[in-house]
Amino acid sequence: MLIHSLNLRNFRNHTEKALEWAPQFNILTGPNGVGKTNILDAIHLLCMSRSFVTTSDRVLPNQGENWFELGGTFESAARSKFSLKTFYSVNEGKTFFVNDSPLDRLTDLIGRVPVVVMCPEDRKLTAEGPLERRSFLDGLISQLSREYLQNLLLYRRIRRQRSTLLLQDALRGEMLRSALEPWNVQMADVGGKIIATRALVLEHFAGYLEQHFKALTQLSLRPNFTYKTFMPVQAGQSPSEISAQMLLALDAAFEKEQERRQSLIGPHRDELVFYLDQIELRKYGSQGQQRLFTIALKLAQAFYYQDQSEDRPILLMDDVFGNLDSEKIRTLVRILEEQGGQIFITHASGSALRSAADFSMKNSVWYEVSGPEVKNITQSTS
Amino acid sequence: MKVTSESLERTIEELAKLPGTGRKSAQRIAMYLLKQPDDSVYRLAETLQNLKRSVKTCCICRTFSDEDPCAICENPKRQNGQICVVEEFQDMYFIERTDEFRGRYHVLGGVLSPMNNIGPDQLHVKSLIQRVNNPEEPVTEIILALNPDAEGEATSFYLHKLLQPFEVQVTRIAYGIPVGTDLEYIDDATLSRAFRSRSTF
Ligand SMILES: [Zn+2]
Repeated sequence: MLIHSLNLRNFRNHTEKALEWAPQFNILTGPNGVGKTNILDAIHLLCMSRSFVTTSDRVLPNQGENWFELGGTFESAARSKFSLKTFYSVNEGKTFFVNDSPLDRLTDLIGRVPVVVMCPEDRKLTAEGPLERRSFLDGLISQLSREYLQNLLLYRRIRRQRSTLLLQDALRGEMLRSALEPWNVQMADVGGKIIATRALVLEHFAGYLEQHFKALTQLSLRPNFTYKTFMPVQAGQSPSEISAQMLLALDAAFEKEQERRQSLIGPHRDELVFYLDQIELRKYGSQGQQRLFTIALKLAQAFYYQDQSEDRPILLMDDVFGNLDSEKIRTLVRILEEQGGQIFITHASGSALRSAADFSMKNSVWYEVSGPEVKNITQSTS
Repeated sequence: MKVTSESLERTIEELAKLPGTGRKSAQRIAMYLLKQPDDSVYRLAETLQNLKRSVKTCCICRTFSDEDPCAICENPKRQNGQICVVEEFQDMYFIERTDEFRGRYHVLGGVLSPMNNIGPDQLHVKSLIQRVNNPEEPVTEIILALNPDAEGEATSFYLHKLLQPFEVQVTRIAYGIPVGTDLEYIDDATLSRAFRSRSTF
């Protein structure tokens, strides 16, 4: 997947910009707070329907404005050339257009332009609770499987309906039990499918993680993870078998769910625990180990995606290089060259980046960002 | 802001309350109406008044109708022991259009949705059970024709369970593939459901 050009209007601090991109490395340097990340975020929003920086679209228009517009031209393995556009206004929300024809549902966008993000927020993956790791996993699979995404949305809907019942004071005991029943059957049905898919993908994914952690660190430590759901699950286990077990588990958990007033069984409570050798990363891993683990995780995601789909995702690397020594930067750049996809890199110091790695400027473009101005400095560096 | 026409502003506010209509479309409709000839706007107002005055709810099947009971419930030829359960009036209208079904209907008036405070008591469920229990018009089959979404599925499950003690067969319409559609354009969920509800040649 390639993005050839990007237009921003009223997006964050960029009132009006048109940028051309190169097929391999796209480097944005400049001091912090000048809007480098905003350009990466614009690409993310255009491709994935949401910002990777904020959950509130309202803060995205330029100060004093209530709308923004983003547009881009793309080229993919499946569909030679196409354009994406999004228009947002505070009153009407976001509307997306593919080749100027509007998309009915935002979910139709997911997977059209695959994107993998690496950013400082990623430290949550190894440092915080299971929610972050579940969304990583869901993102990984949803980009490849529309059915999985549909199941996630359906599951969320069923769970919301069920939660409402659990919170009603008037419904207790047998009345609650029979009110839950029609939702339990569906929740187990969809939940079983989600769990089966997660187990299957993760088994496959483990090898990718191991390979890329090794390439990146040259360490002999082996990265791995365990996938925990409400029951022991093996990769390849049939969804219907898991669903049947989940229905029994829901039934058995009734008293507890009634008491705690929440859904306690199902994939929304799954956990993914990361290890280096036998050591649990979140509890005992050093910051350096955690950082490298996360980068390897995202690299693995990119490589896994391209093996499954025969197209390369766009890699957005926001401030990733700042925390790496020059040897690690060199190694990472070599891995990225091998990956061969289109990569966007932001970095505070141009000179530090230049001395750490030799970017072949044939397929690259280098922008110096200084607030309102974005200057192409590609020629002057080659 | 100074409002120069209170009537226009009121119209926009009322129109904006309609489902699927934001303030922008309400403005557009109001402007359109203003530019139409007088009698066509009066006709619309009269039609709306009649809608509330003359449309009743059928006491048997709970559909909207000018007569109570409705023409289908009154028609002895439609008494074949089958009742088709639908969510809303318009679903009944869609099924009628196919000319496939020769029995009677029952309109639930919604589906189970705890989020929107809709439980069995908010739906026309009791009246359905009464119909199943009515010895004067024996019911042999209840056909569930609800939407295949989370709420429709939950409601089908609920009704199926509720009807189990009665001597009535409960069936549901099959999930199918739209006629004239290539397999490759059908989403995975529909295709796998259609596969599961396949029938013998
Ligand atoms: Zn009737």
